[in-house]
Amino acid sequence: MALHKLLRAAALTLVLLFFLFPIFWIVVMSFQTNEEILRLPPSLVFAPTLANYTALISGHLQTASGILDITFLHNLWNSILLSTCSVLLALVLGVPAAYAFARFRFRLGEDIAFTMLSFRFAPPLLVLLPLSLYFQDLGLNDTYIGLIWIYQLICLPLILWIVRGYFEDASPDIEYAYRIDGHSWWRAFTRIAIPLAGPGIAAAGLLSFIFAWNNFVFALILASADKQPVTVGALAFVTASGIQYGQIAAAIVLSILPTLALALYAQRWLVEGLSLGAVKG
Amino acid sequence: MHEKAQDLATAFLAGRIGRRELARRLAGLGLALGSAETLLNAAATRALAADFDWKKHQGTQIKVLLNKHPYADALIADLANFETLTGMEVTYDIFPEDVYFDKVTAALSSHATQYDVFMTGAYQTWQYGPAGWLVDFNEYLKDPTKTAATYNWDDILPNLRASTAWSGKPGAELGGPGAHQWAVPWGFELNNLSYNQTIFDKLKLSPPRNMEELMAVAAKITKDAGGPYGIGVRGSRSWATIHPGFLSAYSNYGQRDFTMANGRLRAAMNTPESKAFHKLWVQMIQESGPKNWATYTWYQVGTDLGAGASGMIYDADILGYFMNGGDNRERGHLAYAPFAANPAAKGPTSNVWIWSLAMSNFSRQKDAGWTFIQWASGTDHLFYGARKSDVVNPVRNSVWQDAEFKERIAKSYPGYLNQYEKTAPDAKIYFTPQPLFFNLTTEWAASLQRMVAREVSVDEGLDKLADSVNRQLHQAGIG
Repeated sequence: MALHKLLRAAALTLVLLFFLFPIFWIVVMSFQTNEEILRLPPSLVFAPTLANYTALISGHLQTASGILDITFLHNLWNSILLSTCSVLLALVLGVPAAYAFARFRFRLGEDIAFTMLSFRFAPPLLVLLPLSLYFQDLGLNDTYIGLIWIYQLICLPLILWIVRGYFEDASPDIEYAYRIDGHSWWRAFTRIAIPLAGPGIAAAGLLSFIFAWNNFVFALILASADKQPVTVGALAFVTASGIQYGQIAAAIVLSILPTLALALYAQRWLVEGLSLGAVKG
Repeated sequence: MHEKAQDLATAFLAGRIGRRELARRLAGLGLALGSAETLLNAAATRALAADFDWKKHQGTQIKVLLNKHPYADALIADLANFETLTGMEVTYDIFPEDVYFDKVTAALSSHATQYDVFMTGAYQTWQYGPAGWLVDFNEYLKDPTKTAATYNWDDILPNLRASTAWSGKPGAELGGPGAHQWAVPWGFELNNLSYNQTIFDKLKLSPPRNMEELMAVAAKITKDAGGPYGIGVRGSRSWATIHPGFLSAYSNYGQRDFTMANGRLRAAMNTPESKAFHKLWVQMIQESGPKNWATYTWYQVGTDLGAGASGMIYDADILGYFMNGGDNRERGHLAYAPFAANPAAKGPTSNVWIWSLAMSNFSRQKDAGWTFIQWASGTDHLFYGARKSDVVNPVRNSVWQDAEFKERIAKSYPGYLNQYEKTAPDAKIYFTPQPLFFNLTTEWAASLQRMVAREVSVDEGLDKLADSVNRQLHQAGIG
């Protein structure tokens, strides 16, 4: 029994090391200077420095060619703003739509649902170039509203299709019973259907947030430098005069924090939500 | 006192007094030479304003798209002078190099009016120019109402002017008859050797002068330096692997990428001479290159040199320049040398990368945009960039002759001026301009990767490459 426990602990340690080592190494790098990071062979013994975080927060980066202004915190703010607003909008639009697709049969229903899904198939650049022409005409180029709208290409299909599955899994009889008691359709939707699909909605929201957070190309093509997310902003540390590995590591640590915090907070719904729809009863 | 200081600055710019005299007399007024820099720039701005109506577009706002680069940093630091001189307002968007050209291509292909002026490389103009996305600067350069007499276009190195002009006809000579000036050169890179002086001293080595010596020195470093490998060159599956050291050495043997016959292009990578050179290059990487050579880009080549992981690089001289400063471990230990691969060649034949300024054809204020470009590529700003910032290599001959710039470079970058002087006369773009440049050159790099990985012999690899290239040229109607 003791051997079994020992082996289990060893296996768990190995798995944890395998998955967490890259993250651990990035955290370690974020407290080192470039010179220490590039030391051969690499070493875990070093004098920790907060210089990388200071550079990111102060917005001034010392490079081989002098001091460079960086806007990483602004990029971080852009990511939070774009991802949060996009997911909220997608939830407002997507959850009722998912309910409608799950509960009602209407003309062209499946076609519309599939069209929404097909937004995920198209290569983004193929869509973006013609879109940028329309955006110019509509005055949406280089605006947060335009970007949040275009982020629906990522968030809306995900939410729609994931949440639809949860609505389909919940028995409609509960809603019918509630309505027989004299409640309106809207109340049945908000009081019965949404709470039942709650874990699914949380999981879909979190997944869309992660996808929106990781998006790179939409803002790059459709907006100016002041509206770029962290995914573009982090590249600023790769300059012709050298790669600032320490600052890249610090930027990664800072940029995974919001998603990590959200994932930890929503963990119990996430696990429940992701596993609920796995087996159709 | 301020007026006296201004007079001194004007006299210095006019060449009536020297720098030492300026420093001495400013000290008499209680000013340090360093603190007088603003004064000098302001005086230069006034001198510029004297001969041309720089205020013609006063109140106009233009937007510039920039790549995050030391040249752009120098430009931003000096923008206030332009705004004072012209009364124009300049806003800019700056993007990291990894995504910069995606941004430019998207903006131009969608006919965006957002950006007036942008940074570009010369190769990119082969795509943008013929597509009708760029302004041809010839009409501006010839018009004295639009171009200041002091602009002195001829001061820009002739090979760079030619390398940024093309007629759009596949295979036609750069800068030849009917060439459109798609871009104005701004800063450029030569491809030569940057080496670690400490390693060379330790092993009692001299900078190699030709391919045979390069291979021998690189092998010696790999064997005896106790860790560092011999030679850093790029190897990723990208056109950028071919254009620096590789093409410079290839051209030194008199080899071309294409031949032109009856108006049709034909691949020339599989001649016996080309095969012989490829064998040397492949052998050099196999024996003395980095372990993960096939992933090496500008960044890895430079980082290894700066960190002491390689003994030398055959790449852009400014990459070696940057690695000699900052927080690089080997800062202050690097030196530079010209390199002619072919022992029979009369000198180096460096292929060049030219950071240039171009104007969008969709700009609604082209004249104002041109005013900005002629200031940014003019002597005033380039002197500032070369003396006070990192605008190496400047594109103007007058800047290369500047005593202050030369003194600064000679002091901290041993051999840098010499490699420039030996290489500049024959430094130009050695690629044949044609619309499939990026695809075909990337395929060349992929082919080189297979040869280095011993997946295919050099002879067979180059024959296959030539077949594939010829097929694509034929399909495109140019071969």
